Amino acid sequence: MVAGEHAPSGGRNWIKTVAYAGLIILLFLLPLFVDSVYYLHTFIITLIYTIAACSLRTILISGQLSIAHAAFMGLGAYVSSIFARELNWTPWLTIPLGGVSAMVVGVLAGYPLTRVRAIYFSMVSLFVGLAIVALMGVFQKYTGGDIGLIGIPPLPSITIPGLPTINFLSSKIPYYYFFLLLTVFCLMILHSLENSRIGMSWKAIAQSYLVASSVGINEAGFRVLALAVGCFFAGIAGAGYAHYNMVLTRSSFGFLSSVNLLIYVLVGGTGSFFGPIIGTTVLVIVPEIFRWLKTFAPFVFGGIMLLVVFFMPQGIAGLFEQVKTKFLHFQERKKPRDVS
Amino acid sequence: MISDVAAQTVVNVLMLSSIYILVALGFALLLTVLGILNFAHAAIYMVGGYICYQLAVVVGINQWASLLISMIAVGLLGLFLERVFFRPFLKDMNRIVVVTLALIIILQATINVTVGSYIRRIPSFVPGVLRFSGVSVSGDRLATFVIGGVLLLAVILFIRKTKTGLQMLAISQDSDGAALQGIKTHRIFAVTTAIGCALAAVAGSLMGAILSLSPFMGDIMLVKAIEIVILAGIGSIGGVLIGGLILGALDATLPLFISGSATDLTGLCIIIILLLIRPQGLFGREV
Amino acid sequence: MFLETKELTKNFGGLAAVFQLEMSVREGEIVGLIGPNGAGKTTVFNLITGFLRPSGGRILFDGKDISGKKPHLIAKMGIGRTFQLAYLFPEFTVFENIVTSFNLYPKSSFWEALFKTPSYRRKELYILEQAKEILYLVGLEGVKNVLGRNLPHGYQKLLTMARALAIKPRILLLDEPIAGMSLEEINYAMSVIEKIRSQGVTILLVEHNMRIMTLCDRVIVINFGNKIAEGSMEEVRQNQEVMKAYFGREDAA
Repeated sequence: MVAGEHAPSGGRNWIKTVAYAGLIILLFLLPLFVDSVYYLHTFIITLIYTIAACSLRTILISGQLSIAHAAFMGLGAYVSSIFARELNWTPWLTIPLGGVSAMVVGVLAGYPLTRVRAIYFSMVSLFVGLAIVALMGVFQKYTGGDIGLIGIPPLPSITIPGLPTINFLSSKIPYYYFFLLLTVFCLMILHSLENSRIGMSWKAIAQSYLVASSVGINEAGFRVLALAVGCFFAGIAGAGYAHYNMVLTRSSFGFLSSVNLLIYVLVGGTGSFFGPIIGTTVLVIVPEIFRWLKTFAPFVFGGIMLLVVFFMPQGIAGLFEQVKTKFLHFQERKKPRDVS
Repeated sequence: MISDVAAQTVVNVLMLSSIYILVALGFALLLTVLGILNFAHAAIYMVGGYICYQLAVVVGINQWASLLISMIAVGLLGLFLERVFFRPFLKDMNRIVVVTLALIIILQATINVTVGSYIRRIPSFVPGVLRFSGVSVSGDRLATFVIGGVLLLAVILFIRKTKTGLQMLAISQDSDGAALQGIKTHRIFAVTTAIGCALAAVAGSLMGAILSLSPFMGDIMLVKAIEIVILAGIGSIGGVLIGGLILGALDATLPLFISGSATDLTGLCIIIILLLIRPQGLFGREV
Repeated sequence: MFLETKELTKNFGGLAAVFQLEMSVREGEIVGLIGPNGAGKTTVFNLITGFLRPSGGRILFDGKDISGKKPHLIAKMGIGRTFQLAYLFPEFTVFENIVTSFNLYPKSSFWEALFKTPSYRRKELYILEQAKEILYLVGLEGVKNVLGRNLPHGYQKLLTMARALAIKPRILLLDEPIAGMSLEEINYAMSVIEKIRSQGVTILLVEHNMRIMTLCDRVIVINFGNKIAEGSMEEVRQNQEVMKAYFGREDAA
């Protein structure tokens, strides 16, 4: 066992690995079964928001409930779009650049924010988000202001010798694979960080910043690090979105979008890495299914939230954990107890 | 002419500040007494406006009576919300965030389904323009300021002079200690929420007469309420008045000098700089 | 001198909680810091460990001025502490509580942690070994996998000591290490403190329960943030000032 890896028994680990591999293979095969452009679009959006929600949770486990995350997505989106549009840089370069610029702004805003904690942090982070969105309005010349930014280049086609050229404008399938790979990549990094000494320090600060600093954890440093990592991936997600959607409006990165991301994370459950993944999937796909309800559709969204709050204190992922613990206890009772 | 503009600006500042303060005061009370960040507060403000509209325009009863009924009805709604949605989750920040955000969505959808999303307007409470020695000001705007002022005075007197009000203050200082002193905290929580919601309802109704009503009018107001509370400093009720005045002044005058989103940015920058210098707000205790 | 305060002063809104305090601890000693309620003992601890900034004066540790430094930097210099209330990480198990507290030696970089490099794994394995040793030293191996918040009070106090040991302190500041414990637990906790000292850790402790003073080589008595007596327990017991501080006016004694 290495710090942060909670599973005490090695025996169940291979089941986990097989389950993950199976899930990822299934997701890779998905376009074979789904040929509706509309469904693919929904899946792509789910993937983009999954990256954003997971990166938001990284900030959250360090005890910082940020209400600015969508703004950092927007920052990445605009930086990437502007560099690709005005300077003709390739999106393969501007997407990481979008992530880096979101990270830089996150760090700059993060240092002063370490002076406040808990609810106060949340409220101040709200202003940071609003200021970023307002800034987008001020640089109207580059961002298109409230009319929006159009003509963002799509991802350039990829030519691998011996294989047919992958053209991102031909259909949504190449985009689906791009975002699936991107999501797997981002989530692997976030997962690795959480299950390391760094992740433990984040969680320690969230539980008691006094104790954490008494054992030498640099509270401000680790909080800013969480923001840097979280904002970087938000920027990546936003930049990817820009080159997929090819149109940006700043209102899609405002207060309500940040709140939406927060809902995905909290409804999914903050206690588990899979919380935001489950939360995003449920809250993006279920409302799509109930679209025919028209003006009544928001009740479905709100209803899910209330259901979770009243009956699943640890979020949807917490429910899985509860079931798992019950199941394990059941198994343990059947096993003869060994004295160790 | 110049004095006319000046007078109107002053009235605008006072009017906007009154509305901000009415909403922010309830928000701040819930924050300090119950210890919750009630995102749904501005949605309640919106609901208050629509109840007043339905009564005055659709049902057609006296407008002032509608305002009063809306205030009482939303106060009762507050009692219900506190009992069912806030009380079970008071100690759990994550769940309070989810529940109050869910309330926004549900309240907005309810209004959207029952009234519709078209912009509505409540007729003027005080129609026409009033003239004072050469300067003319809109009657509605002045009325808003007067009603706001009277209500604020009433609430402050209530907090400072009645037993219930003093108990509210005690809880906001130290809720565990207050419970040990035998204060029935749940009763105070209920009263606080009812008052906060009723104030928001009045603000919503007045706003409906000055500008207009929309199911999404709360979104901006929520941000304003949070701005004021941050400016004032957590735990400072008096600071809310000053914070509301400052924000009202900024919002009513900045558009005269700067245009578009630069207004938002300037306001936000002023607040952020202030927070960097004084993280506990203008009148807050150390956080 | 190992740890030394010079004219250390802390004001809270015009009220001096600590006023021109001069005290010192030699390497290898166990020193008791005692005094009536509100004498400023915990404030002194918070000042030494950086949780409060002094209003005046200096704190020297091993010859270096540490006054006003950030808590985590002071921890890094080898000053460990426990808190009066048994602060711990409630959502971590006992073992995780200790493992998390190993932040300083050995230290891994961000990239090492991200890619779980062999060097990172080696360091983590070393930490696990060290954490186990501390677990045995303090006697918590039986409750290793219990969550912090489910731990009984006596164990919580032991855990806070174990956690402080993880930073490999040269001096350990214990804030009421035996408060609220049963007699049996007190005897056990005292044996643990004795063991910690035998490993070469200097100890400065605050305690109301005089039973622990048998461990101390020396006690320092403070009142109103100022030192009023110093010496062996016997010497201090006979000091007039101390009698006055503890029992009020002389006529009340």
